[in-house]
Amino acid sequence: MIAHTLTVSKPELDLSGKRILIVDDYNEMRTVLRGILYNCNADPKKIEMADNGNQAIALLKEVKFDIVLCDFILKSGKNGQQVLEQAKHQSLIDSSCLWIMISAEKTMEAVSGAAEYKPDAFILKPITEGNLRSRLLKILAKKEVFTEIYAAMKQQDYSRAMRLCDKRLASHKAYMIDLLRIKCDLLLSTGEYEAAQKLLGRILAERNIPWAKVALAKILLKKSDPDAAKDLLKETIEAFPTYIEAQDMLAQTLQTLGDLEEAAAVLERAVKLSPNSVTRQKMLGDTAMKIGKLTDAELAFRKCISLGENSILKTADAYLGLAKVCGTNKNLLEAMKALDQLGKNFSPDEVGLKTLAVKGAIYHQNGDTEKARKIADEIGQAVDAEDFRSGSGDALEIARLLMVAGDKDKAIQLLQSEIKCNPESAVLLRDVAEIFDQAGMGEQGNQLIETSRQEAMLLMNRGVLLISKGQYEEAVDAMREANAAMPTNTRVLLNLAYAIITYIQKNGPSPELIEEARSSLAAANQLAPGEPRFIRLMASLNELTSAA
Amino acid sequence: MMQLAESKYDTEISPASIESADNFLASSVHDMKNSVTLLLSGLEKTLGSPEAGKLSTYSELIQVNHEAKRIHNQLVQLLAVYKLGQKIYPFDPQYICLADFLSALNDQYAGLLRMHDIALEINADPDLYWYFDEDLVSGVIGNAINNAMRYTRDRIVIGAEESDKKLVLRIEDNGNGYPCQFIRQQDNLAQGVNFHEGNTGLGFYFSTLVARMHRNHGCAGELELQNGGSLGGACFILRLP
Repeated sequence: MIAHTLTVSKPELDLSGKRILIVDDYNEMRTVLRGILYNCNADPKKIEMADNGNQAIALLKEVKFDIVLCDFILKSGKNGQQVLEQAKHQSLIDSSCLWIMISAEKTMEAVSGAAEYKPDAFILKPITEGNLRSRLLKILAKKEVFTEIYAAMKQQDYSRAMRLCDKRLASHKAYMIDLLRIKCDLLLSTGEYEAAQKLLGRILAERNIPWAKVALAKILLKKSDPDAAKDLLKETIEAFPTYIEAQDMLAQTLQTLGDLEEAAAVLERAVKLSPNSVTRQKMLGDTAMKIGKLTDAELAFRKCISLGENSILKTADAYLGLAKVCGTNKNLLEAMKALDQLGKNFSPDEVGLKTLAVKGAIYHQNGDTEKARKIADEIGQAVDAEDFRSGSGDALEIARLLMVAGDKDKAIQLLQSEIKCNPESAVLLRDVAEIFDQAGMGEQGNQLIETSRQEAMLLMNRGVLLISKGQYEEAVDAMREANAAMPTNTRVLLNLAYAIITYIQKNGPSPELIEEARSSLAAANQLAPGEPRFIRLMASLNELTSAA
Repeated sequence: MMQLAESKYDTEISPASIESADNFLASSVHDMKNSVTLLLSGLEKTLGSPEAGKLSTYSELIQVNHEAKRIHNQLVQLLAVYKLGQKIYPFDPQYICLADFLSALNDQYAGLLRMHDIALEINADPDLYWYFDEDLVSGVIGNAINNAMRYTRDRIVIGAEESDKKLVLRIEDNGNGYPCQFIRQQDNLAQGVNFHEGNTGLGFYFSTLVARMHRNHGCAGELELQNGGSLGGACFILRLP
């Protein structure tokens, strides 16, 4: 191999015209960073500085920054990660914005953590002008290669993203592995599992890369092979004990398999490694509660709440979980306190009915049957009056209360329609079975569950069956019927769109049909965002309309 | 700057952590490392000012800066050793361009090398990429450069190439080479603490751990010490699968 001796000359870093935000709680540090940026030609008028997270968010709302340098640890309020999460969540930054997290040491978050909330780079302290310059140069060059791809992904234009990816793969060897990773993600998003699996196989033959293994496990889960996914993930964790995504994925797989004890144990280990994820703490709380580990559940929910205080990802479920745990522990005072806190943090429109249901159940648990009954009646009426939509996650809590303190038949009805909307979720089926069990109707409950599930599956597949027989008009009618019976069943909505699109392909379009397909796709995407089938059907529909 | 706890659960010290001397040592190291970081940014600022070059003690300052960096690196490595042992180190291998990686290391040592009239040469194909944890391996190569700077006459060569499906990184100098027993006992060097010769063994221990962390399809990384090489002095070799 020919060796090249490096020359000292390097491209200059020119930051003129760039809008830059510096976020650091130390005045000294902000000055040092600003000084370095000045030396790189940055325009003093275009640099803004913030000494805490809220101030940073306020500036991010005002200015579209090109570069953000943000310390990971901020003294009060939000930390750097939470600022980034909010900025991305509320689209305060564009895909082209370069976000650099500065930290004293490599954190777990630098290695794992949800990809959509990752910064472009982590830079370790101490920061010198030389290393900041060379890192910025490198990161800017890399960003340029990826910005267009991310922008296409954000617009859900997956085929364009894929084309860009392939183009870059041919010309940018340096970023090969990152490009391949995005390509895999794209194939997963569009449901092309075979192609994704092939690509991952090629990557893994060369080298054991943890994200590739986790992606493979995801495909196995999608293909309903949770046992194989479990084995693969365990092997990955053995080799990469600090790769948290593998642990989160394993916990999810174990939940699908119904092994909650093991799922809780995996999550316990994961939160020890990386305690600052709202989502993971909530998952631990839920799982621990289900297996009766109330102390662990309480700890997880409290941690989840305190993390959520400064986080855009905060969830009402943590407050509800805490209230339920305290209720079960016969600590009525703490339970009510948690519900009060919930009321202060979330609007009643969002969580009102669910909160009320949990409150009723807690009263019931603690022997106040009078209050429980009153709440149950109130909710019973609300469910009738408001044309209550199932599939919202509220139904389970409401049914739980009605089952013990209210209209039992209404509870059963709610649970049945919940299953019809999501008959393929093993986790939901188990949750419903547990509610029946608690009401002392386990056997009968199991039968009800099975009947509802089969009914739903039959209805869901009728349209597809008719299409395969070439009866397009009948297929559309059948799916319309199914949709009327199960309005929040995602698969029914997608199948309805599919039937209409096939009908249009054979018989030509009409504005009404196109509108109907479009609105059922939109409804499906609202229920289960980013489903591969949604993406594919949307693409075919767009093709039809542009042709017409 | 201590990492500030963000909730009451972080600040609670569990009985287990009070009992454990390991955790106590680790958090002290952590605190010291943060202090040295502050010290370093102060020094960086001082050295970067236009007046610094005119100071009569300028070269001493450069040396102080270097020693502070050495302390910082050692503390970082101590922490990494602790975390690797506890299986809590955020191991983060990525595909790295060797030419960029080595030239960044070169930049770090440039001032000091110039002061000691040592020429550092880097040989790496700009198209050579390898998969490793950049922070850990840069610690290993930093150790080797520090060592070479102490014992070389006036030249150091760092080479990176692929051989037999492994990345081979060589740090060679034109000094007198390693003592014979070093070469003979290199498999035990990782355990060797020798206060007499001022060798705490941390560097080799850390480097060995880092080499072994890097595995691929059943193959692990390794260290080797040789005498001779292209410059006739010491030759430190890191192979990564």
